[in-house]
Amino acid sequence: MNELIAVMVILPIASALFLNFLHEKDRTIKILAIVTAFVLPVLALIAPFGTHYFGGYVPLAQNMTIGQDLPALITNTQLFQFHPGIVYIFNSAQQLLIFVLCLIAFLAIFTSLNETKRPSGVYAFLMFMGTASISAILLSDDIFNLFVFFEIAALAQVGIIVASGIKNNYETALKYTLLGNIAGPLLLLGIALLLGLTGNVNITDIIYSLKHGLVNPYSPAILMALGLITFGWMYASGLPPFHTIKSAVYSKALPHGAALLQAFSVFSMVAIGIILLRMFSYIPFTKTAIIGISLLAMVLGITMAIVQTDFKRMLGFLAVGELGYIGIGLGLGTAFGITAGLFQAVNEAIITAFLFIGFGTVLYKTRTADTRKLGGMMFVNPRLALLVLLAGFAMAGVPPLNAFQSKLMLIQASLQSGLPELGIIMILLSIVTFMTFMKAFYTIYMRPKPADLKILDNKIPRSTIISMVVFLIICVILGLFPQLATNSLQTLAAGLV
Amino acid sequence: MSFYDVIIKRIREIQEKAEEEEPVTNVTASAMLTAELTLIASLLIAVVMIRLIHPILMIIMIIVIFIIALMAMPIMPKLRQEQNDSFNNMIFYVIMALGIIIALFYWGNLNV
Amino acid sequence: MVIDSQLMSFFTAGSLIVIGIFAALFLDNLIKKIIGLAFLADGVNLFIITMGYKAGGIVYIFMPNMTISNFAQNASYPLPFALVLTSIVIGASTLAVMLGLVIVLNKRHGSLSASKILGDKGE
Repeated sequence: MNELIAVMVILPIASALFLNFLHEKDRTIKILAIVTAFVLPVLALIAPFGTHYFGGYVPLAQNMTIGQDLPALITNTQLFQFHPGIVYIFNSAQQLLIFVLCLIAFLAIFTSLNETKRPSGVYAFLMFMGTASISAILLSDDIFNLFVFFEIAALAQVGIIVASGIKNNYETALKYTLLGNIAGPLLLLGIALLLGLTGNVNITDIIYSLKHGLVNPYSPAILMALGLITFGWMYASGLPPFHTIKSAVYSKALPHGAALLQAFSVFSMVAIGIILLRMFSYIPFTKTAIIGISLLAMVLGITMAIVQTDFKRMLGFLAVGELGYIGIGLGLGTAFGITAGLFQAVNEAIITAFLFIGFGTVLYKTRTADTRKLGGMMFVNPRLALLVLLAGFAMAGVPPLNAFQSKLMLIQASLQSGLPELGIIMILLSIVTFMTFMKAFYTIYMRPKPADLKILDNKIPRSTIISMVVFLIICVILGLFPQLATNSLQTLAAGLV
Repeated sequence: MSFYDVIIKRIREIQEKAEEEEPVTNVTASAMLTAELTLIASLLIAVVMIRLIHPILMIIMIIVIFIIALMAMPIMPKLRQEQNDSFNNMIFYVIMALGIIIALFYWGNLNV
Repeated sequence: MVIDSQLMSFFTAGSLIVIGIFAALFLDNLIKKIIGLAFLADGVNLFIITMGYKAGGIVYIFMPNMTISNFAQNASYPLPFALVLTSIVIGASTLAVMLGLVIVLNKRHGSLSASKILGDKGE
């Protein structure tokens, strides 16, 4: 039954390709896209935990039909233990992360199909392709397979920006691709160095080689590989110096596209961050570097968010800033800290998607994202304003919503690790995040409506409101019962220490 | 002239120099001020973590950074200018970051 | 003096990577920047292929008249070649996307200068 693990990646790719062929058959596209998008989170819930060997290539040690006739030259070496094919690992942590990713994808696709005038098969293709590749990045235990999906995810993101039709989106897309074409090959170079030293691209086998002295764990090439993989990680997640381009990318996508793009960044950050910790946690500097980069992301992201006048750009910078919290959880390196970081990742992906779709309704009604031209939206639809306000509360960490629990855990973890300064900075920046959100909320919703602001007469689709309510319900559930998420994440976190 | 006025005056000067079209409203100025204070406060708190390396080094660093921050006071307008959307700026910082990361990982660990 | 071909390949790969980064950083023409990035990707590909080289090795195809131990001792390493094939395909597709974007932008702006097209106007 472990085939279901591979289906989690194959199904979205297959339906993406199929939707692409169905161009202009609007009704079929709508039904098919919604059904597939609904199946994906369900699939994550019902798939059994375990390991999937692609092509059935299990390690020789487990495959006695081939394994017994081999000469001692092979059976006496570690070659006998190593994984010859691509391996996917699916456990409780992956289940939760993929479930949340696919849920956000479902709601984003559901919203997009109803908000755009005509459902586009190509746009659905891009969204499914991105979701498939991020699921694969989360599942894969093969670092080259991870690189392949890293590149596919980057291309899908470029496609989502290009499809938005917002002014200057092509420029941003080209900047993002050009930077990606520096980061991608350098990540590959890091992988190549690991391959050259250990002869392997399977992460479990690389760790085996490093821990059992098959290669010198402090050799310069390993350190170089660590640096290069860290660089690729920074690009995939949009940590500084990629925070400017990443926030621009979010602001050039349609709101539902941006909601999905930020989920891609959050989950690729988590996936590659976990791999960095799995392979290199024996080098003390790894954790220091992760904390340093995360601090920089938090401070630069949030301070840049305050000074923005475009609310989409502001949300983009806030999304980057919030990534820093996840990084600090991972960088603390304790089981509790990593659990808190992963829990924060789940919460942040949900809340930022909620905010993007929520503020997207303003864009839908007014066609402008400039806060200086907006105002008085509260009277247009007070209920929507309340939903957006609750999303902002969730992001700032107001109880009983979910980010309160994860931020509290992060602060406790930093105190336990003997770094109370990190806790103080996190509290300070949470307050500033809240201030940034309230500044935008006040200018858009509460101050008097400017005379020249035209509010269009189009009704907000019901699907948008349903999506927002679903996000709110998840926020409240995870806020009241955080153990639902943390129990799934603890095993993975404990394995990383 | 209070501290608040000094900062607003500096922000105006820098914005005029950068020939930005947007007017300096109350909201922009106070947003810039918040960002400025957040930046300096988090920087100073983060520097306290140097105590893990050596306490005296931490005290020296805090004093030095405090003085530098006071002298270069409106840092945020300059920082915002640096983090603009120009591709040349972006790629410059990307390659800089690559160099710094590789140097730190490579030499930072070989001497451990 | 016999020049080690593997070492020379590594040297070539390194030069390609450095030239690529230089071009991406300093050349203003977008097409030249993209050529530089293609150099970078090719340098990395060459680096991976070079790692699979084995002096005096044989092709990694198990022929009927070989013994397993002879094959295991002499065959060169096949994994890098498989990886490079995938990497080349990825490189080609991203190259196509970049060039496609440049065509659109060139039509819009009538220029190929990175500082003109990709300047600070994107906000």
